[in-house]
Amino acid sequence: MPRIQTKCFDELEYSPDAVFEFPYGIPGFEAEHAFVFLEQPATHPLMFMQSLSRPDVCFILIPVRAADRHYKLCLSEENLFALRLPADSQPRMGKDILCSVMVCAADDQRPHPTVNLFAPIVINLRRKIGIQAIQTEYSPRHPLISQVPQEELVACS
Amino acid sequence: MLVMRRRAGESFLIGEAIEIEVLEILGTRVKLGIVAPDSFLIQREEIKITRDENIAAARSVRQQNISSFLNQVASQPAGAPVKNLTDASILTTKCT
Repeated sequence: MPRIQTKCFDELEYSPDAVFEFPYGIPGFEAEHAFVFLEQPATHPLMFMQSLSRPDVCFILIPVRAADRHYKLCLSEENLFALRLPADSQPRMGKDILCSVMVCAADDQRPHPTVNLFAPIVINLRRKIGIQAIQTEYSPRHPLISQVPQEELVACS
Repeated sequence: MLVMRRRAGESFLIGEAIEIEVLEILGTRVKLGIVAPDSFLIQREEIKITRDENIAAARSVRQQNISSFLNQVASQPAGAPVKNLTDASILTTKCT
């Protein structure tokens, strides 16, 4: 089994069929074409999207609907083409595709952690191909803090 | 800024190597076709916002931040779609 040096979990073995291809990389990291997705029970539902070639390149993702329960993904023709999905229908979230968003910690310009709903990571689960699909109607800095009314929280628990 | 009016089906040139054609105008949206040499990177403006956020997100991945994210996420209701999504990630490597 090949091994990978990761940013958050030291060195790990990985199965070659756990590698996801990002044919175009992602903006800012255009040379990174292969990622593995790591998860562990203690940090559920966070996922770690680790570059295969650069140990220092790792993103923290959460499923988009954990950040916005009503999120609607709309993939353009070119997104569908890049994901090698049929052009005539939208894929089903959780079945055909995985849709997750990047989390960014608070810093000087960012008072609270945010999630990037503007540019979700979308993965064709069957073909193991990923892209970052722009959704202009959403914010790149959506607060991660729960904004769900208290009564809804009770109803869901 | 140079301003030019074009109808659908008409095009314009930038230098000799780049041609931009207005393919279709539908309401508030314009569909453009671009012919350019491979060496030109053509991208939407949104890509710049995405690049900046991606770089900030990658920089922010530190052990002490992970627990802070988890505290935030824990306050969210875990609906059925979330479970399906994480179940779908069985293709991923699990680490303990």
